[in-house]
Amino acid sequence: MPGGAPGLAALVEDPSPELVRELLHGVIDPELGVDIVELGLLREASVSGGVARIRFTVTTPACPLSDYIEDEIRACLAQAPGLRHVLVECELDPPWKPADMSEVARAALGWSD
Amino acid sequence: MERLRRGGGGTAPPGPAPSRLRRRAPLLAAALVALLAGLWAGLLRLGFDLPALTTEHGPLLVLGFLGTQIGLERAVALGRHPPWPYLVPTGAAAGALWLIVGLPASVGQALLALGGLALVAVFVAVHRIDPTWHNAIMGLGAAAWAAGAIVWLGGVAIPRVVPFLAAFLVLTIVSERLELSRMRRLPARARRLLLAAVALFCLGVVLSLPWQALGVRLAGAGMLAQAAWLARYDVARRTIRMSGVTRYMAGALLAGYFWLAVAGGVWLWSGALAGGGFGYDAMVHTIFLGFVFSMVFAHAPVIVPAVLGVALPYGRALYAPLALLHAGLVLRLFGDLGESIPAWRWGGVLDEAAILTFLALAAGLAIRARRARRAAPATGPALGPSASMQAPRL
Repeated sequence: MPGGAPGLAALVEDPSPELVRELLHGVIDPELGVDIVELGLLREASVSGGVARIRFTVTTPACPLSDYIEDEIRACLAQAPGLRHVLVECELDPPWKPADMSEVARAALGWSD
Repeated sequence: MERLRRGGGGTAPPGPAPSRLRRRAPLLAAALVALLAGLWAGLLRLGFDLPALTTEHGPLLVLGFLGTQIGLERAVALGRHPPWPYLVPTGAAAGALWLIVGLPASVGQALLALGGLALVAVFVAVHRIDPTWHNAIMGLGAAAWAAGAIVWLGGVAIPRVVPFLAAFLVLTIVSERLELSRMRRLPARARRLLLAAVALFCLGVVLSLPWQALGVRLAGAGMLAQAAWLARYDVARRTIRMSGVTRYMAGALLAGYFWLAVAGGVWLWSGALAGGGFGYDAMVHTIFLGFVFSMVFAHAPVIVPAVLGVALPYGRALYAPLALLHAGLVLRLFGDLGESIPAWRWGGVLDEAAILTFLALAAGLAIRARRARRAAPATGPALGPSASMQAPRL
């Protein structure tokens, strides 16, 4: 809760980065049907003192989906217990490259065909 | 790296940032006015006895509606700090409104040209960050917008400007598909083939000004080649096997590629734009309605949330206006080929009905989602677009 008493918040344990990352599997590129973690768009997911810091990118600087992905990240992390703030940053540089995709994403998109 | 944006936000279910909505909604409203005015002029051209609110049709739909929409997408992508990319949709929207109210056309045309030039500048900025072929081709599309508006301002009639307007949209869409093709493992020659097809198309568009028949036919051959490439290599061939919104989008994309091929064939066969008539009607509407509006219908579930921050949940009902669009175009094309005025006219009406039905449906889905989100308890599971899109989790 933004503006909540920090003393009380400090008593609540931070969600683990693994849990945050797991929740971010719910942020799906609707056109590809693959989530941002598997697509390699997630660059950082860390938690400290009840604050999650998320860094992501998009596949090209001309892509308008950054606000959409940011909204989706906030929606997914709304389920995380113990989070007071979510800081979301979209970075365009360095650009995303296909090598950033996971094997799961590659399989879903037919690399093994 | 961009600086850290908008901290906080807490853990409440998200909604659109009010400032974001305030900044973008007027531009989208202007785009909507351009769309409705262009559709109204379309009914006049179909022979309906209606008040002549505006005589412009194609430029309002291509540069006014789609130019504003596409410009807004790029401004959203790049325009946070500083906001100069908003010149693109602002120029397009202002130019369209200027033409609609009937003020001296040259100023409206100049504003549209300004929007196109600003879009070229956007792609110069994009290319500096990420110098790739797909961004370069998208920049060529922007240059086609600017060139088309400038030659129109210079007194060239719209039928001769059509190849440039088509190039703006075809190159924008094809470059986006080329960008997404990086998600697939393609043979090295595949991308070279698309670049050759794009080069052929661009050559035809440029040559259509001095040598109409040659240029139009080359552009048609380029469209056919691009359609063949998309049908063979686009990621939609893979994502059509998924479910929900992903499958819907892929279906609309593949239908659009079919119409791009038909348009290419008609351009190759006809070779003439001036003079109007049934042949011209088929050349223009296979590309702008069949190909481009299929893409609009396909991408709306992604672009509306991206630009407005308003969730547009997927519903199977979205297939209805898509089917109506293509059925109307088939009827219209039969009318064009058989020179049947009733088939041409009612095909056109069905297409306008499809676009308006899609708008109404999208607005209904968005309003319903907004109400559901407001009714949801603040501590409950988030009802964001991901919850409603029903895209498969991998």
